[in-house]
Amino acid sequence: MKRDNSNQENFATSGSSSSSDKGKMWCEEQDAGGVDELFAVLGYKVKSSDMAEVAQKLEQLEEVMGSVQQDGLSQIASDTVHYNPSDLSSWLESMISELNPNFDYFSSIVQDPFLESSTVTSIDSHSHNSWNRHARAPICVSTQQQMVVDSDFGSDLISIPGKAVYPTSQQHPPPQHQPQPKKLKPSSYSGMANSTTVSWGSPSESISAHPIESARPMLLVDSQENGIRLVHTLMACAEAVQQENLKLAEALVKQIGFLAVSQAGAMRKVATYFAEALARRIYKLYPTNPQDTAFTDLLQMHFYETCPYLKFAHFTANQAILEAFEGKSHVHIIDFSMKQGMQWPALLQALALRPGGPPSFRLTGIGPPSHDNIDHLQEVGCKLAQLAETIHVEFDYRGFVANSLADLNASMFDVREGETVAVNSIFELHQLLARPGAIEKVLQVVSEMNPEILTVVEQEANHNGMVFLDRFTESLHYYSTFFDSLESSGGGGDVGGVAVSVQNKVMSEVYLGRQICNVVACEGPDRVERHETLVQWRTRFESAGFEPVHLGSNAYKQASMLLALFAGGDGYRVEEKDGCLTLGWHTRPLIATSAWKLS
Amino acid sequence: MAKFCINDNVDVLIEVLKRLDDRSLGVAACVCKTWCSLTRNDSFWEHMCFRQLSPPPEGVRAVVVALGGYRRLYICCVKPVREVREFNRVWTRHEMELSLSLFCVDYYERVLLGGGGGSGGGRLGSDSAASASLMLLCKAVNV
Repeated sequence: MKRDNSNQENFATSGSSSSSDKGKMWCEEQDAGGVDELFAVLGYKVKSSDMAEVAQKLEQLEEVMGSVQQDGLSQIASDTVHYNPSDLSSWLESMISELNPNFDYFSSIVQDPFLESSTVTSIDSHSHNSWNRHARAPICVSTQQQMVVDSDFGSDLISIPGKAVYPTSQQHPPPQHQPQPKKLKPSSYSGMANSTTVSWGSPSESISAHPIESARPMLLVDSQENGIRLVHTLMACAEAVQQENLKLAEALVKQIGFLAVSQAGAMRKVATYFAEALARRIYKLYPTNPQDTAFTDLLQMHFYETCPYLKFAHFTANQAILEAFEGKSHVHIIDFSMKQGMQWPALLQALALRPGGPPSFRLTGIGPPSHDNIDHLQEVGCKLAQLAETIHVEFDYRGFVANSLADLNASMFDVREGETVAVNSIFELHQLLARPGAIEKVLQVVSEMNPEILTVVEQEANHNGMVFLDRFTESLHYYSTFFDSLESSGGGGDVGGVAVSVQNKVMSEVYLGRQICNVVACEGPDRVERHETLVQWRTRFESAGFEPVHLGSNAYKQASMLLALFAGGDGYRVEEKDGCLTLGWHTRPLIATSAWKLS
Repeated sequence: MAKFCINDNVDVLIEVLKRLDDRSLGVAACVCKTWCSLTRNDSFWEHMCFRQLSPPPEGVRAVVVALGGYRRLYICCVKPVREVREFNRVWTRHEMELSLSLFCVDYYERVLLGGGGGSGGGRLGSDSAASASLMLLCKAVNV
């Protein structure tokens, strides 16, 4: 069962394969015969008989590193390439010799008993830390060596500046990260292990000449290591699922559970949801699409209140519609995403106060069939009618129940002469991609109604790729960013705010968790969360005969102001991209609003 | 000789109170019942909302009154928006429009959604508290 050097390609996904080997290790313990278990857990095969030697070498290494002056440390700190971990002994030796060429290992063998080694035997966190400190973190290696590569998660790795990954006590400039888009490139762990401003999952810090300050502390926070392992394990599990290696996936999923608990905040929650989704996929306990629309609406309401994404969507779409309705006296809005009608009060108010007075307003709301004998659509319509009456806007409402938007026809909407039509869809269109031909039909229907404007808000991510692993990776990054933004909004505050916001936050997380479950665990027509990027949507719309309408600066200003109001507002970014507005968290856009008209 | 009592000259009193800021108006409301009822008068708060924005746009009053009045508008929406922006910047139309929109959402949630059962349940529905979606604004102020 020896891993020989020719197997090095298998280390291509070193982190993940070492953890996948972990899985194998656990099953094949009995056969291992003499391999140290604790090392095995971390992915290193070290024979028990070699342990004493390894321990001593580690001690030497620590000593040597401690005595090396600043320059030497920076060299160590800048590159870490992970050697073949099955040959720990010689690897350590090479490290020692790099640090101190004059150091003669053999002459300074310490007679300390093996048990006094502070590192290898016990698994309590302190020694675990120091072991990792030696073995993983600041490893000096000549730059010609290109060894084990780390699993790279794709080209859009982003820093998630959550507290779990950025311990607040440390302040150091982040190392230069150069994204490596392909797998199987030489990369290093040092970016992760050494720096405290690490980005999760961004394993590569290319061999750069830029020396990192030696003042950087060597000590790792234990949870950080676990965080990295957590990511690796998640990826390994997804890969195992992709390769239909369900036994391995099962073992890994359990491990994710343990690792997730050791994390804090956003990372734990994301990992938990992804682990659940993976488990569902593995055990084939597919989630049924929620029939209880009232609960889904409730979740969305809480999501609406906790974070600005939906508000941003509504306000920017409303601004586009308002501008399109300028000077028109009869307007008709067809809303594909009626839900609780939260978008329309603001538009009604803006129309009521526009110069020249309000137009006569018709609203057609579309929603899924309800399962509890209550006509939710009609109720919402009544409430909006009441509001319209209060602010003196002529209002007319009609609700349509449809299982899918593709079941609709243009004739159903009764578009009258002289009416200006606007079609609005918030997070609805991507669901149509689950059935072939559906989106084309719907766009056809929309164009038959000859709308003045079509406003679309969608998630800015590609969760509809052909390969499961790609989808998994994309969604892991996406939802991590999302959860991170949730983490900093909501919560805190005073008086009545506290209890409400904790509940809101949890509900928002459940809301997102459902999406995660759908993206990861479902397939075929059940997988409705088929998000696509703005670029992909643009192609679709343009081939259906639509051309983009630029959202004006008013929308941008209003959105920016809105964002400034939310706690944690520094993290949110409104950006304009080819006339569309995106709202994101730090550098990652999360949702995009766009407007279209027939060309 | 009759002593001058401000409470006998309400028009002068109103002119004085008009020039106060929001916190001072609140304090003034605690002085006596006359002052209290005066300061509850919505026109003070209208003045407060539109102080830097003149003239107030047409038709706003009707809408605002219908949705709960200027005092509520000020407390729920205008003040938080004002606090967030830079200190000396003039209050612009955009900010006013945003405040009004948020106010309308507040009304919808509070009166129409918060009151009934079903999906509105579980939220603060009382008149004096801000609706849940505006709780966020309150928090922003405290940050």
